[in-house]
Amino acid sequence: MTIPRETMPPKRHELPPLFESLGTHLRDGLRQVVARLPIEPPSFVLARVLDRVLLPRLAHDTRQALQGRTVELVISDLGIRVRLQLDYAGFRVASSRGEAELRILAPANSYIRLMRGEDDADRLFFERALVMEGDTELGLILKNALDAIGPLLTWPGRPA
Amino acid sequence: MTGRGAESPQNMTAPDSLPGRLALTVSAVQYHWPRQVMLDFYDEMAESPADTIVLGEAVCFRRRELKLSDWLALARDLATAGKEVVLVTRTLIESEADLRTVRRLTEQHEFLIEAGDASALQLLPDKTPFVLGPHLNIYNRAALAEHAALGATRWVAPAELSLSMLALINPPDDPVPTITGAAMQTEAFAFGRLPLAISARCFTARHHRLNKDECEFRCLDYPDGLLLSSSEGLPFLVLNGTQTQSAAQHCLISDATALRAAGVSRLRLSPCAQRFGEALDWFDRVMNQGVPATQALPALQAMSLPGGLSNGYAHNRPGMNWTDP
Amino acid sequence: MQGILTAHHDAINSTPNSANSPYAPDSRIRNNAAPPAWLITMDAAVTTNATTRPAVKPELVCPAGSLRALQMAVDAGADAVYLGLKDATNARNFAGLNFDDTQVRAGVAYAHARGARVLMALNTFADARDTRPWFGAVDTAATMGADALIVADTAVMAYCRDHHPKLRLHLSVQASATSYEAIEFYRRHYGIQRAVLPRVLTLSQVAHLARLSMVDIEVFGFGSLCVMVEGRCALSSYVTGQSPNNAGVCSPPSAVRWQHTPSGVDARLNGVLIDHYGPDEPRGYPTLCKGRFDVAGERGYAIEEPTSLNTLAILPELISIGVKAIKIEGRQRSPSYVEQVTKVWRTAIDSACAAPQRYSVQPAWSATLTRFAEGQQHTLGAYDRPWR
Repeated sequence: MTIPRETMPPKRHELPPLFESLGTHLRDGLRQVVARLPIEPPSFVLARVLDRVLLPRLAHDTRQALQGRTVELVISDLGIRVRLQLDYAGFRVASSRGEAELRILAPANSYIRLMRGEDDADRLFFERALVMEGDTELGLILKNALDAIGPLLTWPGRPA
Repeated sequence: MTGRGAESPQNMTAPDSLPGRLALTVSAVQYHWPRQVMLDFYDEMAESPADTIVLGEAVCFRRRELKLSDWLALARDLATAGKEVVLVTRTLIESEADLRTVRRLTEQHEFLIEAGDASALQLLPDKTPFVLGPHLNIYNRAALAEHAALGATRWVAPAELSLSMLALINPPDDPVPTITGAAMQTEAFAFGRLPLAISARCFTARHHRLNKDECEFRCLDYPDGLLLSSSEGLPFLVLNGTQTQSAAQHCLISDATALRAAGVSRLRLSPCAQRFGEALDWFDRVMNQGVPATQALPALQAMSLPGGLSNGYAHNRPGMNWTDP
Repeated sequence: MQGILTAHHDAINSTPNSANSPYAPDSRIRNNAAPPAWLITMDAAVTTNATTRPAVKPELVCPAGSLRALQMAVDAGADAVYLGLKDATNARNFAGLNFDDTQVRAGVAYAHARGARVLMALNTFADARDTRPWFGAVDTAATMGADALIVADTAVMAYCRDHHPKLRLHLSVQASATSYEAIEFYRRHYGIQRAVLPRVLTLSQVAHLARLSMVDIEVFGFGSLCVMVEGRCALSSYVTGQSPNNAGVCSPPSAVRWQHTPSGVDARLNGVLIDHYGPDEPRGYPTLCKGRFDVAGERGYAIEEPTSLNTLAILPELISIGVKAIKIEGRQRSPSYVEQVTKVWRTAIDSACAAPQRYSVQPAWSATLTRFAEGQQHTLGAYDRPWR
């Protein structure tokens, strides 16, 4: 979901409408299937992507604040769950056991709009399109860091 | 601008200020009590161990059970009874009528003024001695020195400041000098429901689905304010018209040593509707007559309002906390 | 004509201050003499700012929690942006938010190159344990070429007066000045040139104050709403130990916990249940004053409902009573909020000034603002006091 501009396949921007266009029935089915999948592969992929697009742009104080904390992201409409931790070398897959310090739940579209800098996390939160559990301060550090950095995701032909 | 310069109003020095005595100030009644209740209360205070009595309506401009002339008459009676009297100006000034009240207070020469906001600071004649009310937001020594230069002689510290902060802002061994060279006095909030916030909006009227201007003076029905609890039943805050208070009564009965070490020379007690005189007596006995706080505390706990006692602010903790002595 | 502060800016930075700039030097301001008699004698016929000076297009003052938000605000048409440093010297002291020195420098350069001004919020009360960060922030603002400081603490104002007498000062809303006399106090002693009004006065009270005030008046136009007088609220520290006055935060995130339960979500502040949301209920900021509580057996928003202030509907009135600047709340919000809200307000102010008689709130403006509003409800707040 966070693919840097240079590696992005040209047709990739059709991804969110595609999910939106899936019927509820089909989406529920897909969610049940995906939810049974292990969390490691998506976590691993996301960690590598974040190493590339996020890590170099993360301010020193933010990096320190995130260090060693487990964050779980749930893409609620797809049932995908990833768990990540930042250590000295970069993002890595966190253990699937125990409680994550911060858990963020949102549909794919919310994540994508945030990554593209098209939406405001507070607004999504007011509308329940983004839900946060656990360490609120950690969530805010993450949100503010992403806001300060700007879009992590841009579509071809659109300015960042 | 005509001022009366540095000349002192009458009735301004505390009576029998014993060396080391922690003077007791009765803050202005924060609630809307009927006229007779108010007069009876001050009859009782005239006989109490209080050193200083603050008079006036500090919360809502609509409350007029007592007019300014009534307050002044009461002030003279209390002064005759040997009390130092301070007149308070309101914390929130919204209208020209509000300003007129502040002007009438700052223009009288008989009694010391407790400034509730910067309007009062502006309207006080230059170099007039006055008291800095708790909402003037003095959070450091430099700010206190700025106000000392205007004539302030006494500082009622913001309730949320800890005793260690008071010691930094007006240190007992190096107090901020007033314009006469005397030491600035520090007064700490020591007993009562804490005045936490003020609004233009009336929450008591809101509860009764009434507009503020047709509020029917419902706050007369709540002599200690209207209790607000969390959905889990925790007595939490109190709605007092436009003011929001803590449900817990702040209580520093066990902190005599720490108060003195922080340079506090005066304690502020905020009236409640029942047994306030007893609470005042306990404070006098513990702070000034050597009675141990361990005797007083169970009595104060037993008579406390829903919400119990708190002392967190004094100890660098959330205000609602209670730290055992 | 150069503004007071821009005297030491280089040429590229001098664009904001034209002859009719709201920041142009004004001999009224630094005059520390006693106010004229009409300020004191209210019964006398009053000479008014409004009648002696033509209505000026109000400055649009927009929030910037990051350099990116600053750039988007400027690009979207803000006349001025306000920002704070990454510490407790400003009232949005949240982790990850705000500017370091390098970012301030870049932000000032970006804004000045495009004719916009930068206001630095230094609007908390200096901590008695160490006041140096506050005084250091004043020095930083002066060095970096900020166009004005937004201040609340008399200690900070005195430092500015004594060490940076040319630095333009705006009185922060945190200073709780709600009357022209209170504002005059800060002008007389510290030379403040603008006052930001707490969100508690009615429109007619604002008009009266603006008419009698010696300094320019800035009001909040849009954003989350404080129901209490700013600078006079300790609800947050009562529960968490930290408040806007003592730490620059309200309901600090470190004290907030969202707990999911079978019936919805509990919002707790340092353990105290301040609200419970059903699965389909919109959420709000976990601030105490917008929580739901029990009062005499009734559960509800006992203090304030989660709503946002929106004054688009009374914009022509605000302009005609002589309000000189309109502030958008939300340094904690994302750049996309800043961009879109700024665009709406830019258009609205331009439209209200071009043809006040034909001004009407466009549905598209309201739709955009509603999207971003807390509680998705708008109110004119104290300006027209439905609860009065």
